[in-house]
This record gives sequence, structure tokens and C-alpha cells, in this order.
Amino acid sequence: MSVSRRGLVAGSAALPFAPLPFSAMAQPASGPPIRIGVMFDLSGPFAAAGSQACAAGAEIAFELFNERGGAGGRPVQAVAADSQSRAEVAINEAERLISQERVDVVMGVFSSAHAMPLAQRFEAQKKLLWITTAISTAVIKGRNFTHVFRPTVHSDQYGEASVQFLTEHSERAFRIAPNNLRVAIIHEDGPYGTGVAASSEILAKAAGMRVVLHEGYSATAPDLSTLVTKLRRERPDVILHTGYNPDITLFLRQAKAGGLRTRMIIGQGAGYSQIDRLTETFGAEVNGFCNVDPAGTQMLEPDKLTPAVRELRQVMMQRYEAKTRARDLPTHASTGFNSAWTFLEHVLKPAVREGDGSIQAMIRATQSVDLPVGGTIQGHGLKFYPPGHEMAGQNERSSTVVMQYEAARAKVVWPTAIASGPPVLPFPASSPFALRS
Amino acid sequence: MDPFLLEALLNGILLGGVFALPVLGCNLVFGVVDVVWLCYAELVMVGMYGVWFLHTQQGWPLYLAFAAALPLVSALGVLLHLLVVRPLLGAPPINQLLATGGVLFLLQGGAMLVFGTDFRSLGVELPPMEWQDVFISGTKLAAFCAALVGAGALWAFLKFTYVGIAIRAIARDREVMPLMGVDPRRVYVVASAVGGALAGLAACLLVVQLDVHPFIGLSFGPITFMICVMGGLGNMLGGFLAAFLMGVIVSTGSFWWNTEMSYVIAFGFFIVVIFARPRGLFAR
Repeated sequence: MSVSRRGLVAGSAALPFAPLPFSAMAQPASGPPIRIGVMFDLSGPFAAAGSQACAAGAEIAFELFNERGGAGGRPVQAVAADSQSRAEVAINEAERLISQERVDVVMGVFSSAHAMPLAQRFEAQKKLLWITTAISTAVIKGRNFTHVFRPTVHSDQYGEASVQFLTEHSERAFRIAPNNLRVAIIHEDGPYGTGVAASSEILAKAAGMRVVLHEGYSATAPDLSTLVTKLRRERPDVILHTGYNPDITLFLRQAKAGGLRTRMIIGQGAGYSQIDRLTETFGAEVNGFCNVDPAGTQMLEPDKLTPAVRELRQVMMQRYEAKTRARDLPTHASTGFNSAWTFLEHVLKPAVREGDGSIQAMIRATQSVDLPVGGTIQGHGLKFYPPGHEMAGQNERSSTVVMQYEAARAKVVWPTAIASGPPVLPFPASSPFALRS
Repeated sequence: MDPFLLEALLNGILLGGVFALPVLGCNLVFGVVDVVWLCYAELVMVGMYGVWFLHTQQGWPLYLAFAAALPLVSALGVLLHLLVVRPLLGAPPINQLLATGGVLFLLQGGAMLVFGTDFRSLGVELPPMEWQDVFISGTKLAAFCAALVGAGALWAFLKFTYVGIAIRAIARDREVMPLMGVDPRRVYVVASAVGGALAGLAACLLVVQLDVHPFIGLSFGPITFMICVMGGLGNMLGGFLAAFLMGVIVSTGSFWWNTEMSYVIAFGFFIVVIFARPRGLFAR
């Protein structure tokens, strides 16, 4: 394989970011671009709750894919849309992408409240929706979609991870048998929070835990102090909290002022994964918090990944840090990159190579994708449940981890097999949320 | 008394204090100028950004940043009146609403362009007060006291100063007062400046309790208007009392049922009030 002057220039331009392997210096894509709709919340409350990080991750995937030759030599071109954290805008923008921009595929969608109506519309119009981030199980489950795919996790997995983590560690860390553990579940009341909370309650009860409070609230609520009062009254050992960002910081601030003390608060994605934001507000007080989400790629040991993915991970991390100057990569950056990359590399590329790049060719390609565990930068594999399955379109190999914050950085503490160390449970005495002795 | 219920009640009263200042400002402007500033919560947002910027980015002491927020938002209120409201004073109310609604989006978009979508925190907190298992946030209590002082200062201004009396007179009879030699255009400007200053004061009290972001107005803007209408649009005492009533309804509703239900109860109560007393709960 010869390396053109153009390829060398492209390769050397990327040198500050990463030592590139030979494959990365392939001739950059040229020819008519393949246009793909990319929709995230670039404004509104969801933007800083992780949607912008997802968009930045996806952008890097597009750049890298084009630098590495594109699909059959053709570059991909993102046709961007901002859903503004509003479902009606998401629907209108999707309509614009399909009818005016004439794209066959739209990827993105941060909020499950947006994904619910969008999935139905894409299925009806026989266009392909690739959901990168919205995780509510209800978006997919039992709807028998053939044109909607989600390479990332679904909300039931948050409940599973939280409950299994507590079951494994409760006795040792809290000296409380799991079936005596008092658990409170609080959540924002959209499909995301409701879905995660529902699975958490079912599984906690199945494990014999006592759910002493289960309460939803609007993510834009101006005050949560009475919720704090009720939590103090119920004295939970552990609080499972699903929320975005303004509501999480409001809750934690009011919890601190309201004297709420417990053994552990376990966040369940979204706002709890924005460690830089939380640190800006709470400083060292965020240390000790646990959080459930797909792993950020920087949290994984490289030897758990396949060699090609290891190199990809490195480039992605360096580019993201250069682009955003983030202290610690938010999980959503990895999710945005990973979801976009898997589509481009493992669906679009084969669909162009082995077919005509049509929607049908892409759907056929999704059925052939078979990446083992360690085959993506987030450590999980990729294989979709087949049509006819109640979760058709969902990645059956997706997985979540429990991470814990230490020195304002996240480390994986569950599953134990890939953990970088045991969790610190309960909250250390220095935490304002720790129980008084 | 159940200490947790007592705590919920106190929280409700403190929450009412948070609502009270924007309600007073909104009512003042509506009572005098007869125009609803749909963008009122966004003026508060600008004030919050002002405090955050001066304190955390420019290193100003917090009290100076607070002191600067009042004239800043007051000037913004005057600009809003001169550039947007005054040209539309004779226009149908829907045009005025649309225009101030447009300013709402302008301010949101402007804040996003200048500050981005990140949540900004002042990082200032007062220690909580604890008494017999009842916790009260020191920050909220201080904000509540400041709100009361602000409301008292407004009352004194309207009651005892010449300009304040002119404002009240215009609010009572917009047609006759010009015949008495009062220039309504000047009074409108003063009312807009005072309304803006109240938004600035509300910004100072909120920025220590909430993170600021371009869409923070969504958190308290709608309920502020609901309280204004419930107390009687333009009725300042009514709005002030309705703010506390709403705070207690939300807080105790949340205590006895849940947080989501508390807003259902609050909005249900609002609907009943509007049917029973269309001009507001405290309309005379």
C-alpha cells in the first residue's frame, strides 16, 4: 500500500495528538460525502448535563473516520441539529433532517423523552435512528422496531448494577445484610429517571432490600428541600439518585444544608457523570460519590481492550482533551464517540463496501455486527438483539460499571473483575454527607 | 409537633421569600406600566451571571458584586422599557407579550453565546442552623431576610417618597394622573428601574442558592407569573402574600404526598382561585 503525499500531510497534522499506526495514514476520504444527521442538545439544560460532551465525542469519531479513508473512500458529513433540550424541537429537527436535508440516518439523541417519540417516527418513515445516549429501556422494549438501534446501555442495567454492587458490598462495608439495607430511590420524572428508578426498585425489592422512599421530581424544580427533609425522616442507608445537572447540584446543595447524612449516595448517570461540573460546585466534597454509567474509556485498563481499540482509545482521549481541556473525560464523551464510531466503522462501512450504502444494506450490516467484549473503547461488545426479540435493536452486550470519585477523577469499582480497586464505603468521615459517629 | 413537618413548613415560608421578590418586581411593572415582562426571570438570570462574573472571574468581593447587580439589572429594566415596551404602549397586549417574550429568547441566547451552557456556581454557602432535629439552610434564611428587607424598602419607597406616591397614583388611575401634572412616561421609566432593581436583588438571593445557566429562568419564571396572577396582577401585597402561600402549599404538598404531586396541588389550587376570584385571591 502506497502512502500519498496527501495522506502523509494528514498523518503529520495528526501527529501532535497521537502516534498514528500505519492504518491511520490511509488516504483521507474524498468524493461525494455521505450525509448523516447528528442531533444533540447543544443548548438548554441537557447541553451541560452531558449532551455537549456526547456531541464532541461524536465529532471526533467523524473526523477520525474521514482521516482514515471514510466509507469506500467517501467521507461522511455530519448534518448537525440542535434539539435544544425540548422534545418538540427534537421532533421538528428530525423532520427537517429527513425531509429537507434528505438524510437517511440520524444519530444522537441525548434525552429519552426525545427518543420515545422519535423512535416511533423513524420506524414509521423507514429511516434509520441510531440512538447514542438516551437509555430508557421503554424506548426499545416491546416495540419491535426494525429501524431503531441503540449501541449503548439501557436503563434496566442501572438498577442491576446498583443492586448487585450493594449486594456484594453491603455486609462488608456497612455491616448490614443486604436484606436489611434501607434504600431510598429519587429521580427526575422523565422517561430516563423513571425507567432507571423502576428497575432499581424492582431489583432492590427482589434482593430483599427495604425501599423506604421512592420519589420523582421535575428536573426544573426550583426547590427540593422538602425531599431532603423526607429523606432525613426515612434514614436510608443508601440513596440511589437519577438526575440531570441543575437538579443534582440543587439536591446536593440542599441536602448538605439540610443535614442529610447517609452511608452512600449512588448516582445513576447523566449529571453524576459530569465530574468537572460537580467539582466546580462542590470541590473535594464530590470525592467518595459512586456513579453507575457505561465506563469512560480512560477508566479501563488498556489490556482489557483489543489492540485496534486500544489505539483508537488513545487518539480519542488525546483529541478530546485537546478540544475541550477537560480535567477528566466525562463518560458521555466516550459514549458519544463510541456510538458514532461503531456506526461508521461497523455498519456504514460494510453497508457501502458490500452493498449500496442504502438503509436496507445498513440494517443488514447491523445484524452482522459481532464485536466481543473489549471490542469497543468502552469495554463492552456490540451485537444487536434480532428482529422479533422484545429488545430488538438494543445492544445485548452493553454493560455498565460502578465508578467512584477520588481526587475528582473516576475509577471503576465494580464489576470486581475490571475494578481498579475496592470501593471506599461508607462515605469517609470528611464528607459532609457521612453519618456522624 | 413533628419536627420534620415543622421543617417542611419553615422551608415553605423560606421558599415563599425566594418567590416574593420577582413577584413584587413583576407586579410593580404591570401595575404601573400595564405590560407583563415575560422576560422577567431572564433579567434575574442576567443579574445572576453578573454576580458570578464579578465575583469569581474578576475577583470582586461578594458584597461589591451584589451591589453592582442592582444597578446593572435596573439599567437593563430601563433599556427594556425604552427600547421594547415604550414603542408598544399603544399596541394590543398580545404584541407587548410577544415582544417581551422575544427579549426572553434574546437574553437566553445571548447568555449562551457569552457564557456557554455550563452551570456556574458561586461556591458560597452559609452553615445550616440546627435546632431540635430541625435544619434550616443558613443561605436560605439569609436570602429570606434580605427579601423581607427588600420588600420593606420597596413599601417605604412607595409610601413615603414623592416618586413612590406618583407611581401608586399612576397605578391607580392611568388616565387622570396626567391631568394632575404627573408625567406618566417618567413614572414608567422609574417603575421599570425599580422593577429591574428588584430583579437584581432577586438575582443576588438566588445566585447563592442555585447554579446559574442560560435557562435558569425555566425553574422559577412560570411559577412567578402564576403567583402574580393568583395574588392579582398589579397587586403587590396580594402577590407578596400569594408567594408565601404558594411556598407553603408546594412544601407541605411535597411533605404529605410527593414533590411531583405538590406542584399538581399548587396548580390545582391556582385554577380554583382563578375560577372563584378571576381578579386574584387578594383583589380588592
